[in-house]
Amino acid sequence: MSSHREAPEISKDPVADSADLYAFVSPDHPDTVTLIANYVPLQLPASGPNFFEFGDDVLYEIHVDSNGDGRPDLTYQFRFRTELRNDRTFLYNTGPIESLDSENWNRRQFYSVTRVDSHGKHTVLAEKLPCPPCNVGPLSIPDYDKLAEDAVHKLKTGEKVFAGQRADPFFVDLGAIFDLGTLRPFQDKHLVGQKLFNYAGKAVNATDKMNVHSIAIQLPLHYVRREGKKKVRGRDPGAVIGVWTSASRRQVQVRHGRKNDDVYVGPQVQVSRLGNPLFNEVIVPMAQKDLWNSLPPSEDKRFAEFVEQPELGALLPVLYPGLFDNLAELNKAKTARADLVAILLTGIPDGLIDDFQNNTGDVQADMLRLNTAVPPTKEENAFGLLGGDLAGFPNGRRVADDVVSISLRAIAGVTVPLVDEKFKPDDAAALVEQGLSAKDASSKLLKKFPYLGVPFDGFNNPEAEDK
Amino acid sequence: MSRVHSGTRAVSRLSRRRVLIAATVGVGVSAAGVAGLSIAGEKPGSDDSEPLVLSLRDAKKGTFDLFSGGSKVTLTDKKLAEKLLKAVKRG
Repeated sequence: MSSHREAPEISKDPVADSADLYAFVSPDHPDTVTLIANYVPLQLPASGPNFFEFGDDVLYEIHVDSNGDGRPDLTYQFRFRTELRNDRTFLYNTGPIESLDSENWNRRQFYSVTRVDSHGKHTVLAEKLPCPPCNVGPLSIPDYDKLAEDAVHKLKTGEKVFAGQRADPFFVDLGAIFDLGTLRPFQDKHLVGQKLFNYAGKAVNATDKMNVHSIAIQLPLHYVRREGKKKVRGRDPGAVIGVWTSASRRQVQVRHGRKNDDVYVGPQVQVSRLGNPLFNEVIVPMAQKDLWNSLPPSEDKRFAEFVEQPELGALLPVLYPGLFDNLAELNKAKTARADLVAILLTGIPDGLIDDFQNNTGDVQADMLRLNTAVPPTKEENAFGLLGGDLAGFPNGRRVADDVVSISLRAIAGVTVPLVDEKFKPDDAAALVEQGLSAKDASSKLLKKFPYLGVPFDGFNNPEAEDK
Repeated sequence: MSRVHSGTRAVSRLSRRRVLIAATVGVGVSAAGVAGLSIAGEKPGSDDSEPLVLSLRDAKKGTFDLFSGGSKVTLTDKKLAEKLLKAVKRG
């Protein structure tokens, strides 16, 4: 998956597990950027009596690097606090929840937003902002859309924020991909699959009808740009930002058996990180994934070797015999993949793609890089830059971008000619895909902030047979 | 207190007795761990009622990590290490 349960340790700590990160110039407010970090992945909607929530003991952060050093120049911190109204009931709600301050809603979450500037100065922007409830079902929450709308908060400092449950918009054929790298549309050409199938398969969206918890913030573009510029040209290095999210926990926790007596002390220790989708998932070896999660992007040089010689790039010619011969030759020559280093670690320099760059300099750091001078496109191409759409991944990441297929094609060699004109990608490299699109996600996206769809409700998911 | 190797605040004023209490009984917290996650909790503890947690990292050298609020300091006290080990019957 993008980063759902991508490393051994964090897979056991879903509350702190960053699943997806999106960064894009807002299509309906192109003078702003929207940053969305998803946590608590793979939520089954029918999850009572204890519905999903953020961790009160987790520090959630969204970071922006505006000068290319792989360190944050602007950070937004989100801290949550859970309150119980009624300590004599086992229920999440004791009647319909029709407003964010409903007396019937027993277990509510609130959060604070703190801005940290490049000098480390902390400013609390808001406190006790209510999250919406989880989508229990239509009897408990007759008008979920309205509740969620009420949970979009505009801060006095100009930011818009939302934190709460959403439908997971990520689409991936997880079952096939991690069954020996099978892509169902090509299953009959797979080394092992060709013994089982004589037809192309139809992909399955494994994350469909599941929810996540999203932290979303929309802020004016000049807040994130170097020197706070309101207008920049696309070629201006100050147009490009690097974005990542992280979750941290206190170094020490002492449990006394009574929650109110538990002790949480010591510095925050980072336990989860996410910049580019799939970086820790399929680039970093399993033995180093937990370490990667604990480090800032400025340390990513130590993982550059896995980008230069990606394991998946070596596997493709083996798993799909005869389809990736040119890639096999490239691998055999041990050619360092400068194209992938540019895409994932430094950004794409000016001159490789017409009228485009999202380079942040020489520091190798896994960040989602967004050239904020590129306006949103009216007709999005899910293949982003590979589809000629400069506003899509790997220029930031929009919700509907098919990052799995884009990454597959890039690793398969389709981006090598950016740095080596003589290299001819295999025909299959431009065709390879997982076989899914945003249309395979049952939840429809919103046209406005926070863009992610209404979470699936527990009453109707899984669906009743008599429907 | 012997030496402070690193940290964001001086620990010289900590009496051995207070550290011992923190290490053995954990010092009760009335406001719960959640309250400790406030912005103030990110800073070194300044309130005497805040918990201290002492971790003996190297018994031979007497190296301790002392956690309080949002900070960690490292200190060395061989005698304290011996006393604590004796208390848990490892000395």
